[in-house]
Amino acid sequence: MSSQTASHRIPRGSLASGGAHLWRLQRSERLAGYLFALPITVLFAVFVGWPIVFAIYLGFTSWSGFGTPTFTGFANYARMWNDPVARQAFVTTILYAVATTVLQTVIPLAIAVLLNYVWRGLSVVIRTILFIPGIVSFVVSGVLWKLIYDPNLGTLNKALRGLGLDSLATNWLSNSATVVPAIIVVSLWGAIGTNMLIYFAGIQGVDPSFYEAASIDGAGRWQQFRFVTIPSLRVVTAIVVSLNLMNGFKVFDIIYVMTGGGPSHASEVFGTYLYSLAFGSTAGSIPQLGYGSAFSVVVMLLCGVAVAVQVVLTRRAQR
Amino acid sequence: MTTTMARTRLSHADRAPLIGQRRRRPAPLARSFAAFILIAIAAFTVFPLIWLVLTSLRPQNTIFTGPIFPTHLTAAAYPKAWVSTGFAVHFVNSLWITTATVVGVVVFASLAGYAFAKLRFPFKNVLYVALLATLMMPATSLIIPLYLQLRSIGLLDSQLGLLILYISSSAPFSMFLMRAFFETLPDELVQAARVDGASEFQVFRRVVLPLARPGMATVIIFQFLQTWNEFLYANTVLQDTGKLPLQPVLFSLMGQYNTDWPTLTAGLTMSIAPVVLVYVWMQRQFVAGLTLGAVKS
Repeated sequence: MSSQTASHRIPRGSLASGGAHLWRLQRSERLAGYLFALPITVLFAVFVGWPIVFAIYLGFTSWSGFGTPTFTGFANYARMWNDPVARQAFVTTILYAVATTVLQTVIPLAIAVLLNYVWRGLSVVIRTILFIPGIVSFVVSGVLWKLIYDPNLGTLNKALRGLGLDSLATNWLSNSATVVPAIIVVSLWGAIGTNMLIYFAGIQGVDPSFYEAASIDGAGRWQQFRFVTIPSLRVVTAIVVSLNLMNGFKVFDIIYVMTGGGPSHASEVFGTYLYSLAFGSTAGSIPQLGYGSAFSVVVMLLCGVAVAVQVVLTRRAQR
Repeated sequence: MTTTMARTRLSHADRAPLIGQRRRRPAPLARSFAAFILIAIAAFTVFPLIWLVLTSLRPQNTIFTGPIFPTHLTAAAYPKAWVSTGFAVHFVNSLWITTATVVGVVVFASLAGYAFAKLRFPFKNVLYVALLATLMMPATSLIIPLYLQLRSIGLLDSQLGLLILYISSSAPFSMFLMRAFFETLPDELVQAARVDGASEFQVFRRVVLPLARPGMATVIIFQFLQTWNEFLYANTVLQDTGKLPLQPVLFSLMGQYNTDWPTLTAGLTMSIAPVVLVYVWMQRQFVAGLTLGAVKS
């Protein structure tokens, strides 16, 4: 803001003599501003802004996609409350989002800290390796891990049997007790690299004199980590937590690819449930666009919560 | 006292060239311990990818009975996956849709990013906040209304429709990155060009844009990876097999080739080759962009 007002003054001062010239200058600047921002604004209004409004409206209707939607008020939300699948999806979505966020914050932070202890060359190699899963699509990682989890031929069960742990070998993705943790591992595998790099960059930005001061005061490594590193990274942590929460709330690809929400809704989340309501996983079922849209609205609200978490954490960090 | 000050100054002086800034020189034991843990984590991380490539190189008949590490390698699955899945068609679809999205996003995002960073016009802040507020609107939430919207304007099952969704959903984020980048350039640059008689577009095109190359490189690589890997929109908007990009096709392969793992994994490997190449080639910009994006947001 302050730089804007400062820049405002410079041309005024230097061009104060030619009033008409200045006026033309500002008009062309305004015009250019609108023209340059126009394409993005139009696309955004039509393909992001309007769909948001449309989804909220559809959430209050019952509609199969043909004819006119029937306005039903809060009926979809009431139905959601009593729908056992929706309840299951709610629990799984929250569990998945919280579990991935905790793991994908704590583990990358620990790795980023450890990277500062090893030789520089090794640090570069490890950062490069850890980041590769992050550039692979969820379809590829989903299919790949599905093969690894395969009950008979999958590497995981083969390895367990090889180690004599036959009792632990299970049908990972068809067992309702193991399916969600199994998918969380895949998510973690893909997310470690990105989050680790964000933390690694954050640690580089910590003022080294803080560590000097701490070590003069006799702080050990753990105390330095606890009282210098963690507090200095609060803003970074707020970003990482919020991004991961959001990714957890809106999760779709990886679960759709690996299980489609099964077995019997054990890995159903809002994303997969609304997709099957609208675009049908079972042949011949009538699309429930109104009820599906109510879940879209809930996902939007959850993502709003994730943004609020970031704002609160950042405010607290800057105090 | 003097020694402490000297040490402090020394550590500050060290800071710039030493990227892996260390608090103290770590004890050899701590260093080896950290290295051991990190190497173990890296091994677990890279294992599935090595396994993917190894499986694609196995003879078909050793998948189910053979040892974990194959004794005999063959590339026979690659031509098979290429031909039987019509890989070339979907690869080209992915390539052109991704390229067109990247170009569209870079053009629109730099124009708007520049306008929001350096130009003054009424309602600028209102517009900016509106774009910013919905920057993170999840695709999961928009898929139903977007599907209906494309249907009503006749762009369902059309690559153009998909392209429009890609550009409109990711341009605001790239605009945000570009704006952060343009703000680092001095205002005097723009003023001086104007005084020299350049039009607003000339200022942008000739003066500002050439300086924004690093920012654009970041946007390009991010957008390339994101669009290449996108699944939800592609799987929903397009129905005709000939129009599909790679991701929905890879998904359907899983059902078709659930016993032919070499062909399946060969397809997966071929699909990630371009992104790995782009990553290796432009790694520096990528890491810089990630940091910029994360810290600024």
